[in-house]
Amino acid sequence: MKKLVLTSLACVLAAAVLCPPLTAAGRTLPAPEKITLGNGLTVYVLKNAELPLVSFRMFVRGAGSAFEPAEAEGVANLVTTLMAKGTAKMDAEAIAEALDFVGASLSFSATEEYAQASGDSLAEHFPKLMEIAADCLTGPAFKEDEFAKERARRIDALKAAKDNPGTAVRYYFQKAYFDGHPLGHLASGTEVSLGKMTAQTVRDFFARHFRPDRAIAAVAGDVDSAALKALLEKTVGRWRNPAGPAPADVIPALPKPKGAELLLVDKPDATQAYFVLGAPGYPMGDRTTPQATIMNTLWGGRFTSWLNTELRIKRGLTYGASSAFRAWVPGGIFQASSYTKNDRIGEMLDITLGLLTKAVKEGFSAEEVESARNYVQGQFPPTLETNAAKASAYVRLAFYKLGFDYYDKYIAAIGGVTPAEAKAAAAALLPRTDYVLVVVGKAAEIKPLLAKFGTWREKKISDPGF
Amino acid sequence: MRKRAVFLVLALAALSLSLPAAFTKGDVKVHSLANGLKVLLVEDHNVPSVSLYTFFRVGSRNEHTGLTGVSHFIEHMMFNGTAKAGPGEFDRRMEFRGGSNNAYTGDDFTAYTDWFPPAALEAMIEMEADRMQGLAFVPEVLESERGVVASERRMSVDNDNDSILNENVRATAIMAHPYHWDVIGWMSDILNWRRDEIMAYYRTYYAPNNAVLVVAGDIDPVKTLDLIKKYYESIKASPPPLPVTTAEPPQLGPKSVLVRKEAQAPSFQVVWHAPNAKDADFLPLDILARPLLNGESSRLYRRLVREEQLALQVGGGTQETVDPLLFTIEVKPRPGADLEKIDRVIEEELAKIKGQGITPQEFEKALNGVRNDFYRGLQTVAGKANQLGSYEMIYGDYAKLFTVMEDYGAVKIDRIREVAVKYFTENNKTIGKLIPEGGAK
Repeated sequence: MKKLVLTSLACVLAAAVLCPPLTAAGRTLPAPEKITLGNGLTVYVLKNAELPLVSFRMFVRGAGSAFEPAEAEGVANLVTTLMAKGTAKMDAEAIAEALDFVGASLSFSATEEYAQASGDSLAEHFPKLMEIAADCLTGPAFKEDEFAKERARRIDALKAAKDNPGTAVRYYFQKAYFDGHPLGHLASGTEVSLGKMTAQTVRDFFARHFRPDRAIAAVAGDVDSAALKALLEKTVGRWRNPAGPAPADVIPALPKPKGAELLLVDKPDATQAYFVLGAPGYPMGDRTTPQATIMNTLWGGRFTSWLNTELRIKRGLTYGASSAFRAWVPGGIFQASSYTKNDRIGEMLDITLGLLTKAVKEGFSAEEVESARNYVQGQFPPTLETNAAKASAYVRLAFYKLGFDYYDKYIAAIGGVTPAEAKAAAAALLPRTDYVLVVVGKAAEIKPLLAKFGTWREKKISDPGF
Repeated sequence: MRKRAVFLVLALAALSLSLPAAFTKGDVKVHSLANGLKVLLVEDHNVPSVSLYTFFRVGSRNEHTGLTGVSHFIEHMMFNGTAKAGPGEFDRRMEFRGGSNNAYTGDDFTAYTDWFPPAALEAMIEMEADRMQGLAFVPEVLESERGVVASERRMSVDNDNDSILNENVRATAIMAHPYHWDVIGWMSDILNWRRDEIMAYYRTYYAPNNAVLVVAGDIDPVKTLDLIKKYYESIKASPPPLPVTTAEPPQLGPKSVLVRKEAQAPSFQVVWHAPNAKDADFLPLDILARPLLNGESSRLYRRLVREEQLALQVGGGTQETVDPLLFTIEVKPRPGADLEKIDRVIEEELAKIKGQGITPQEFEKALNGVRNDFYRGLQTVAGKANQLGSYEMIYGDYAKLFTVMEDYGAVKIDRIREVAVKYFTENNKTIGKLIPEGGAK
């Protein structure tokens, strides 16, 4: 392990001096070729002919759920689904048939900060895939009947999601934590917001937010770069910016919980109680990332973490317990979650809160920190193994302006995290008094066990929305 | 962290029509130790990482009443201490060296999957060899882990309506064969397995002559084999486990099962007895599944989700198993949807295939899909290791991975209609419904 770390450090230093940031040859991620199309769209390309497969990835900034009008929650994701449900040239059946016929996959989706296109196919079918992708980007029809079908399907899917407490608790948490903030928009929308939406809402959002001057793309796989450039010009190169000005693409600062904000959701048939606890984290690309990653790995980020050791390994309370940081441009959150039999939820929360205090007060041993450094470094290489993973990495790094040598720097920095830094990260980032805690379970059984944690706001799983 | 999940549906990514040039039978180095351990080695330096996969020929098909779920429980105990290493040591040592692991149990086999940097190879081989026969089953640890598995069952079955229905349908359709129960096992068995029974089961099935070891990735095959010999050669072979002889008798009439449960949305499933993976009818049925229910262009997706708007999703198909299992059609109905009508639509579409078969366009589409899935399954060293080992378990021969494309290519389109007529009969069918009651609408 030490050898890899030293080499990476050397690489980082050389890159900083000699190379412009976006073309620095990475050790962990090969440098891509950069193509700029006539319409201004940047595409990063990596040739890898090991298997006859090609992957395409694209992010569109400002087209995610955080940029929806508050009354149109869920429209971003609905737009992306409907983009492949009919265009000027092909109806929904024709698109599905063309993709399925060649065994290709093409999907559009929206997360909080961006909309995303993902396409994967055999190399021989890649031109067909890009032709369809471009058709969906440049001429989606957004027909009334397709809108109505998809909206109805989503409303029903939200009801079905409430039958699974593990899924439902995450939706309730997102709403409770971000209450009114754009990051609280559920990608799925809610029964209420979907009910008010029209096909025109969808058309308007697409027209304003989907623009090549806000997009970054990548292609990785068995491609020939000259032929690829021609193909891209002919397909996604046809996509034009809309006439109007680009809409806002800035997300406001994240809310901060004050005290323990507690929500209990009653699901009378649940035999387990599920919790999610959240608190402020850090923004994407923040310099604390390596220290926070080591700290979280030890606290709740891997199988032998403190949280999983206490809840699962030592006590057998649960099948799984974990924590993670989620990061966006304006900020991030820390999130921990698990579940157990109804009668053990009080004990589970006591232990979880106790471990937060312990990390802040005591920190981690030198051996623990060494283990976490090895673990994070050792697990990293396979995350960039496939064409799809590499294409996603190019787009992600370019989107967050981190530079293509980011992972080299990150892996090197991981190797230098000290126990004192891990403890400092715990003190800075783990909550002790200010957090949001959501529990979904059978209220009749668990309410008495929860009383000692404070005053709980209550909802019923059957109430509309989350 | 979805660790040590039960795989209720064995997802062997399917097969192929033409092989990737970069991965051929010649890339697999095969060795057998004197104690019967079969070793497959694949050298691949694409990323500085190694996948070490250990497969044991034991799954829920080897269990019996009172011991249901025990194969999966032993998978959990494999991380809980040996005579040499205390409970949790395996994970602690592995993570300290930069490795991580998981494991899964299916109907037919159990797999242990380790991913780690090349420098950890010897330590990993030593630890895997140690737990092949050295498990301690410390009583307190066993009781704690029993709680973990009970929680896993509550999460994956008891609090998941589709899974509850799935378990009911399986147990209704399959009467005699051990595929009657799910891999997770019945809750009362989970709570009552005795330590001595668990240990006897472990001793029977965890032996080098009942296992296959696959090491793929950034390795030197010669040195790797030396390390495997160093740690595994001293392990003794066990008497071969008794064969599973119970055969499922033919179903003599339609069956159905109804589950009433508090829910927002109903669940629906229909199954027919289907042949095992080696049967000549298996590939035609597997091809048929694609135009019938895979993807948005499939017949049932179009009818049920798009045209009639009765369902949110459609899925299912064949499963590659050692003994005959089921062909499954799983539908997620929309709340309030008419389940009888869903059944009628399915029967109408099957009747068309029984009458006219599938179109040449659908046939070609299915084979393209098979090819795509195959390549995607081999993109990573972990994928290669998993495929090779799974083929050993299901077909008894990893080399089948490199010829199965010819078998697919040899299937004639007429065979699709023939197998539809043969298997999708009324007497061979079991239908399952979960209907919401009480609670919220």
